[in-house]
Amino acid sequence: MSEITEQVGASLDALTKEYEIITHNLANAGTAGYKRRCNAFSKVLEAQDTNTQTYTPGSVDLNSSFDFSQGGIVETGRELDFALYGKGFFVIETPNGPLYTRNGTFSTNQNGQIVDFQGRIVAGQAGAITIPNNVSLSQLFVSSDGNISAEGTAIGQFRLVDFGDNEDKLVPAGSNCYHMTEADIQPAPAENVVVKQGYQEASNVEIIDELVDLIMVSRLYEANMNFINAGKDTSSSLMSVAMG
Amino acid sequence: MLRAFSTAATGMTAQQMMVDMIANNLANINTTGFKRSQINFQDLLYIEMQPEGTEVASGIKSPSGLEIGSGVRASSNVKIFSLGELQNTGNPLDIAIAGDGFLQVVMPNGDIKYTRDGALQINATGQLVTTNGYSIEPSISVPIDAASIRIEKDGGVNITDSSGTQSVVGNIQLARFPNPSGLSSEGDNLFAQTEASGTPTTGTPGENGFGTIQSQFLEKSNVQMVTELVNLITAQRAYEINSRAIRAGDDMLRTANNIGS
Repeated sequence: MSEITEQVGASLDALTKEYEIITHNLANAGTAGYKRRCNAFSKVLEAQDTNTQTYTPGSVDLNSSFDFSQGGIVETGRELDFALYGKGFFVIETPNGPLYTRNGTFSTNQNGQIVDFQGRIVAGQAGAITIPNNVSLSQLFVSSDGNISAEGTAIGQFRLVDFGDNEDKLVPAGSNCYHMTEADIQPAPAENVVVKQGYQEASNVEIIDELVDLIMVSRLYEANMNFINAGKDTSSSLMSVAMG
Repeated sequence: MLRAFSTAATGMTAQQMMVDMIANNLANINTTGFKRSQINFQDLLYIEMQPEGTEVASGIKSPSGLEIGSGVRASSNVKIFSLGELQNTGNPLDIAIAGDGFLQVVMPNGDIKYTRDGALQINATGQLVTTNGYSIEPSISVPIDAASIRIEKDGGVNITDSSGTQSVVGNIQLARFPNPSGLSSEGDNLFAQTEASGTPTTGTPGENGFGTIQSQFLEKSNVQMVTELVNLITAQRAYEINSRAIRAGDDMLRTANNIGS
């Protein structure tokens, strides 16, 4: 009896977590550069003891990872909004090492350097990118490979990196940023990415998919609860037999 | 479970802020020199339930972990300083700045504020002032006997007196900032310098990247109704969906409450 309750408990727990992840995706349906989290249920290893022929059935567990697929490209017309099309990340310099982001909504600070909205420096090929004081933002032109120029004068180039197959190992750091926890994985310069000035990459959350998942989660939750009820009935009738 | 409720609530709050901002943009669709705002969202911190690379069996590391995010927040709203449409008014004292730069306005306490609203007027003492009566910097006095006035592209204020003689009585100067988005909005179409905007540099219109002065024109608001309405619909639907997520959680809790009843 307790085995069933344990298993149902584990699956309720996993469903609750999935519900929380869906809610987080939905809350970020309008966040530029946000990548949805997708969930994968996995069975916890089944323990089987060959000698005694006892068998413990597995329960369910939840894993989640980022879905780094391309989000839609939305025009904003702002000179310092950049969308990335293809695989790659902008690099944000912080005192605790670099962070990587797909959110190219940048600004300039009081020194004219390109920064993100937390005021952290956006990395260029050679440190920070400074827009000279005599250049107005409307003169700024950014080519598809991230070269920034004004009226033909080069100003700098964004540092764009790609993690290839190691993308899955990125850990979210909040504020649309990721960091790489495994020190031996170094990003390579991004090759298959296009920078679009005046655009933002929209969140890749598909509202319909999330709502369908949401309905599924709440129904599965209900079904699991019914199972507990059914188990309770069985055990109470067993008890009544035993007690006479 | 309760965590998801607050996650969805952050989504609703963020969308509500977006609606507030759109409402302000739409309300100012006819305001001279108004610059529309754009809101930026960021995801909040993640709660790490199980880190990536946890050893699931000896030598085998799980390729992905479990992190649950806690929602969204509005990180900033920025002014978009794109040029608004220039509208011909026929009034020689109306000026528009075609390009970068702000007019400098002197407040009664001596502070300098900045504006793109160039609907100038002449006050009782002959000074060029804004619609609110604040004089511009550097101050320009128009003699009483001026028969006509003309403002040049480089900001020179030319007058013709009753005898037909022309003279320049002053030059309008513009100011610009390293980070115009960092200016704080003060109402009355005025902006104030902040730590984030950096210090202004002043200069002659048409030089060093400053815009030129277009006399007899006013710069309209750069709000575009269609864009704002589309954003409004998006925000409203996103709000609805977040409330839907709360309802789903509520259903799940109700099921849990009914165990054994």
